Amino acid sequence: MKVRFWGVRGSLPVPGPKTERYGGNTSCVEVRSASGTRVIVDAGTGIRKLGKELAEGEAGRTDVHLLISHTHWDHIQGLPYFSPLYQSGNKLSVYARKRDDLHLHAVFASQTEDPYFPVPFAEARAEIAFRELADAAKFEISDVKVACARLNHPYIATAYRLTADGASVVYVSDTAPFSDILFEDEFVERPPSPGAELPAKDKQKLAKMREGVVRLCEGADLVVYDTMFTANDYRRIPHYGHSRPSDAVDICREAGAKRLVLFHHAPERSDAEIDRILADTRALAEHEAVDLEVAAAYEGLDVEIGKG
Amino acid sequence: MEISFWGVRGSIPAPGPATVRYGGNTSCVSLRPSGGGLIVLDCGTGARNLGMALMDGPFGQGRGEASILLSHAHWDHIQGFPFFVPLYQPGNKFHIYGGAQSSAMLEGILEGQMAPQYFPVQTLKNMGAGIDIAAIDEGKSIQMAGCAVRACTNPHGRAGALAFRIEDGARSVVYASDAGYGPGGPPPASIELYRGADVLIHDSTYTPDDGRRYADRGFSSVEDAVGAAIAGGVKRLVLFHYDQDYSDAEVDALCLRGRRLLDERGGRGIELTGAIEGATLTI
Repeated sequence: MKVRFWGVRGSLPVPGPKTERYGGNTSCVEVRSASGTRVIVDAGTGIRKLGKELAEGEAGRTDVHLLISHTHWDHIQGLPYFSPLYQSGNKLSVYARKRDDLHLHAVFASQTEDPYFPVPFAEARAEIAFRELADAAKFEISDVKVACARLNHPYIATAYRLTADGASVVYVSDTAPFSDILFEDEFVERPPSPGAELPAKDKQKLAKMREGVVRLCEGADLVVYDTMFTANDYRRIPHYGHSRPSDAVDICREAGAKRLVLFHHAPERSDAEIDRILADTRALAEHEAVDLEVAAAYEGLDVEIGKG
Repeated sequence: MEISFWGVRGSIPAPGPATVRYGGNTSCVSLRPSGGGLIVLDCGTGARNLGMALMDGPFGQGRGEASILLSHAHWDHIQGFPFFVPLYQPGNKFHIYGGAQSSAMLEGILEGQMAPQYFPVQTLKNMGAGIDIAAIDEGKSIQMAGCAVRACTNPHGRAGALAFRIEDGARSVVYASDAGYGPGGPPPASIELYRGADVLIHDSTYTPDDGRRYADRGFSSVEDAVGAAIAGGVKRLVLFHYDQDYSDAEVDALCLRGRRLLDERGGRGIELTGAIEGATLTI
């Protein structure tokens, strides 16, 4: 199974000299099984270049399965610029968590409609299907097995485990750690007061959610984890719903995962700062005697796991 | 008046080594009129860097005030709005103007981007700053930051986009992004808006060849921009809103092409600049 990173950034794309090495495009990861099944996780701006490659290489016979962690802009804003949408013969299946208030189709369609974008979904030539998922859904995409877990993020996000060719990759983005705030649908205006005790009900929910994520990551060959925050960011703005590298290391240790990729870098993070965060996280894993290989995602990073 | 470029790209931000010199952020320009104050033209991703720069001044203390003019609501002209930090500082005041049938509809368009399924802040009302929103009445001149501002709609594919003329005493700047005129060139009302401007910041998305290939998308080629500058008799033409796939070298070539076209078509006296992210032009 091949995993390729097309966009590794959170919040919004950040072009410029400070992001040249790791890349400035928002979240998009491609997973391909040895038999050629193609699954894309998230459709941030990184998906545009992947789409160009597909449009040139296999026009009219692209079959793509797109798993969406959640529909915040940095995870969907590249889709209108995904060229295979505009070629007939192509197929696109979009999967995301079912919501109570809106159909998934409507969430995506309104991104492409007047006055925001000139080409409405209705005019896309590819065959597009939407699949709404339950929190702990399990399903198969040809030879790729998919399992889901709920994450702790404003308006709720989904983590995906993809298994094929005897290997597994887990995508955990976006999520806060499972300790100080329980995110649901309400707007969290300010950080919790220091030392404030959470209601027992919230604590239980968070513990269960954390357990679900650890189980999803169990024995994984590769875990891609939202590590947008530094420890200082987390102290300041925990209510924005992102994790620190130490949170990812903890989850990977408990799950016995083999390799961790730091992902969803903050827009303000320069290449040099990501280098430093990577070095610190490797030192942390070593210090805690965790047998964990750590890398930081960059645009163009290819990781091969399992056979094929 | 100072004109600063924060985002000069069209359609979608284009990060990467190939766009480092001209910049990969989408459309955003700021104007500092001679009497002080601030006018922001469009809120593409370039608005994020503008916002962070502003926080060093009065906007960081909740004492800032600015007008924001939106040409239209395609993503590359509004997607930086949720990341414009001064909007989150209570005390700051923003007056937003744009094209819509009513002010309530313009507010609805901006709210659409902030909605909980797309953005965690959920609504403009959670942002903190004072925000008022008004649909532009094209016939009228509006006063802001000591300037007189007029607007006129350019054709832009199936939609339209507002062009703005900002007059600061005897000095004038026109911002005309996203204009797809068709074979006849700019309509008379647009030429009238451009007339004699010190600076015309004009859509120059494509090379002439790409412009013909993608004519239905409603953008200008460098050739169309040159035509508009000559028709309006402007003093300086600033090329703007480059295609997301053009590398720095290709934008260099686009600027040279623009210079040659101006010289060939009777615009020898018109200065030409390619907009560069981070650059400031003083008139």
